[in-house]
Amino acid sequence: MSDILALVLNIALAIHIALIAVCVWRVWRGENVIDRLIGADLVGTLMLAVLVLIALIWLNAAYIDVALGLAALGFVGTIALAKYIADQQMF
Amino acid sequence: MHTFLEFIAILAVIIGTAFSVLGVLGFIRMPDVYTRLHATGKVSIFGVVLLLLATVALTPLEFGKGLVLIVLLVVGGPVTSHAIGSAAHRIGIPMKRAIRDDLAAIEQTPP
Amino acid sequence: MHYIRTIVILLIIYLALTGNLQLSNIVLGTLVSTVAALLLRPQPGPTDLRRLPAAGWALIRYTAILAVDVVKSGIGVARIVLDPALPIQPGIIAIDSGCDSELGTALSAHALSVTPGELVIGIDKAGTLYTHCLDATHSAEYVADAQAMRRDLLSKIFP
Repeated sequence: MSDILALVLNIALAIHIALIAVCVWRVWRGENVIDRLIGADLVGTLMLAVLVLIALIWLNAAYIDVALGLAALGFVGTIALAKYIADQQMF
Repeated sequence: MHTFLEFIAILAVIIGTAFSVLGVLGFIRMPDVYTRLHATGKVSIFGVVLLLLATVALTPLEFGKGLVLIVLLVVGGPVTSHAIGSAAHRIGIPMKRAIRDDLAAIEQTPP
Repeated sequence: MHYIRTIVILLIIYLALTGNLQLSNIVLGTLVSTVAALLLRPQPGPTDLRRLPAAGWALIRYTAILAVDVVKSGIGVARIVLDPALPIQPGIIAIDSGCDSELGTALSAHALSVTPGELVIGIDKAGTLYTHCLDATHSAEYVADAQAMRRDLLSKIFP
């Protein structure tokens, strides 16, 4: 059973890294600025999933802490960028 | 009991990965910005939350951290989507294949 | 009283994050929560402990209904994405939230946005939610019923 779990986790990790590559391509060749912003946000979310998967594979709790920090900072950063795009000023 | 938890974790990881793939597929296929936001919101809600449920099931020590991260994602994800969608509507990005737009009708009439 | 309420909530989050229930950790968590609550300056509000069981039961029902909604509409959006024809009819429809307080309006907007397929784009002063729907023809009447039920539960949780 544990072998199946390790196999599934590694395949999921490979799929998520491929998805991050697709999203980075979309950010590079985006239609407009909002499209690129959505792509950057999605890269952050998928990176969160990669960190959780690495924590599961190596059974190391420190990666969950990194994921917490990334979730909090990515949230604030995306909202600040969206406000900057909408108002053309930060404050 | 441990085998049962491992089974649940494997199921959660498979379904979460499937929803991540679906979200990115929708992000590529959808025609405009607003419909893309629906697809990407699904990744953060289903994909990451199911992976975190697998973590909570497998490693009992990280119970609290996983639950706090799930709450953070479920509360914060819609706020991010709303901020991006509101910014897109503010700078006037058009909707494609739209059948009705109540907000534009309100904004055109001066208060 | 409202300071104690904030301190208890912060202490629960601190204990969940550290994950150890020794006495020294609880004392340290109480100190950290007190400092954080003093920095936060929470607004005074009514605290009635007798309402707590009804509010908790309403909160559990609200969360369960929300979870069922999220799973149902998530499967619906997944079917739309997998369909080769991409059968979407997007549009922005106006929904009256019906809540008096700002907190109720904000939580209604969150509940609408958290389900895939609906996304709140704008909110005006009167509490009308302008919601972008993937399938605007079907969800127009369905969303109004769900919003009425949600408003009743929210009024029980936050008077």
